[in-house]
Amino acid sequence: MENLEALMHGFGIALSGNHIFLMLIGVLLGILVGVLPGLGAPNGVSLLLPLTFGMQPVSAIILLSCMYWGALFGGSVTSILFNIPGEPSSVATTFDGYPMARDGRPTTALATAFGSAAFGALAGVILITLSASWVAKVALAFGPAEYFAVYFLAFASFVGMGGSPPVKTLVSLAIGFALAAVGIDTVSGSVRLTMGIDELVKGINFVVAVMGLFGIGELLIAVEDEFHVKAISSRVEWREVFRTLAHLPRYGWVLLRSAVIGCWMGITPGGPTAASFMSYGIAKRLSPRRANFGKGEPEGIIAPETADHAAGTSALLPMLALGIPGSATAAVMMGGLMIWGLNPGPMLFIEQKDFVWGLIASMYLGNVVAVILVLLTVPIFAALMRVPFFIIAPLIVIICAVGAYSVSNSYLDVVMMMGFGVLGYLFKKLHYPLAPMVLAIVIGDKAEDAFRQSMLMSRGSLGIFFSNTLVTTLVLLGAALLVLPVIWQTIGKLTARPRLKS
Amino acid sequence: MVSGRALETATALLTGAFGLAVVVSSLDNGIGWGAGGVDAGTFPFIVGLIILGGSLFNLVQGWLQARTVVLRANELKRLGALFIPAAVYVGVIPLIGMYLASAIYVFGALAWHKRGALLFSAVAAIGTALSLYVIFELTFQISLPRGALGDIMGF
Repeated sequence: MENLEALMHGFGIALSGNHIFLMLIGVLLGILVGVLPGLGAPNGVSLLLPLTFGMQPVSAIILLSCMYWGALFGGSVTSILFNIPGEPSSVATTFDGYPMARDGRPTTALATAFGSAAFGALAGVILITLSASWVAKVALAFGPAEYFAVYFLAFASFVGMGGSPPVKTLVSLAIGFALAAVGIDTVSGSVRLTMGIDELVKGINFVVAVMGLFGIGELLIAVEDEFHVKAISSRVEWREVFRTLAHLPRYGWVLLRSAVIGCWMGITPGGPTAASFMSYGIAKRLSPRRANFGKGEPEGIIAPETADHAAGTSALLPMLALGIPGSATAAVMMGGLMIWGLNPGPMLFIEQKDFVWGLIASMYLGNVVAVILVLLTVPIFAALMRVPFFIIAPLIVIICAVGAYSVSNSYLDVVMMMGFGVLGYLFKKLHYPLAPMVLAIVIGDKAEDAFRQSMLMSRGSLGIFFSNTLVTTLVLLGAALLVLPVIWQTIGKLTARPRLKS
Repeated sequence: MVSGRALETATALLTGAFGLAVVVSSLDNGIGWGAGGVDAGTFPFIVGLIILGGSLFNLVQGWLQARTVVLRANELKRLGALFIPAAVYVGVIPLIGMYLASAIYVFGALAWHKRGALLFSAVAAIGTALSLYVIFELTFQISLPRGALGDIMGF
């Protein structure tokens, strides 16, 4: 009940003319970056971040989170109409969405995707509404050891479940940690890793890093291949939209299962991409119509879309309640929170009630706005796909350069941003995951501080991580996530080898 | 043409060099257990060792893999056509400032790809500089660098 009251209060904040306007702008910009290949939610949010520095935190987060919803929806549009996933998390939508659209049913495919996406998002927001303040309450009792254990769990699940080569994930994560350590050490006050460059005393700002990694890096990846846009008619037939939406409840079981997978992957930092692939894979294995998958099967659109949006939404729960982002985009937003002077974590629910519940209320509204806007604007954004890349590319470079500069009026940041761009390109090209690095840049020094404070409390004994049931469970769970995938892989390789010979 | 092996090796060397720099630099802050608990250099030192070790592993793995081509000549050309102007753009900002550099960059990129459409390119270039001014200088009161040229001209 307490939550419902707070939510109503939140609606009061979110339902102001100014905030509705920001929602519209956010969703439209989100659809734009979602539709444009080479730009995605983390890019869009990082490109927009410098513009929010002067805003009220609640207005800023509404703008950024709505951009996120818009990007999630926009990514599905191009997946379905052009077989080009606008977002990594909508790759799985192309498997059945594009074939269905190609067979002359683009409206059905789009409506199925948006309907299930809205359901997934709703599941995520309801989860946040019901459990966020409870999680925050539990987290208030956390000491440094518990916090370190939670951070450890987050990092471990990235290394273990990310799907990228484990050593590459580890290198990416460790580089993020090292970058987070540059500058003044918060525990001892000494200056670290500046390599003799005085300006680095202020540390490496994560906005600079994400603009390079996601903005320039993705641009360099995208420029490699010329886009061959094979357009399908993008006209939306409204009657077909309503008929499709009315038919969705028949897939109730798929919707529910995908939403659960999505929420789980969002809370543990598996992220929307992993969630959508996992959900698609499970749906394909369990469906009675599995032979139809890949040929335009509705379940093949519902499963990844629901999980994608459920994960994207619920990724904000650990960010708000624990200060641990559940996806790359959430990590960028959390960096924004810190720049606006807020301290993500359980105290937010006590000190910044307006901010938290305003955001949660805006998530309900933002998703409704996103569904309506995306349906209305499909033809326009589909036409945007034909804007030549050579016009978009310089604009993105300029936005990144100006954005990096405006963080702290430093030219060095612009140069570093370009350096991160090259790194982002190389990493993306060679399948090093970027999300662990961003996660480590944002919360790396917090994890380190938690570890060192625990060590101070225990006078250097690691026993503090096994001193009570909660912390022991978290540490063991993290260790299991870290080790189990490696063991499975090894077993898989060992059992596969004899078969190769025969 | 660039092979996967070359790119993997180069990246592993790059990350390895960074790891080494982190390890060496963190020694200055002291590693191990000091009077104030864990010394400031300990954590970066371990992280640096992980980067170094991981890079060595990736180096060997990258070297052992087959010489598949991951960047064909035309892809490399397109990559250069985007990156080199972008790098030059960033490079000249201290000299001519962000407004002029952005305008020239947009003009150059558009005029190069759409030969003949000089008027369109010029309008787009001026529009870019103007919108930067309106968004940053006027709306958000962030002063963008004018460069050495701006200082001379008194802008």
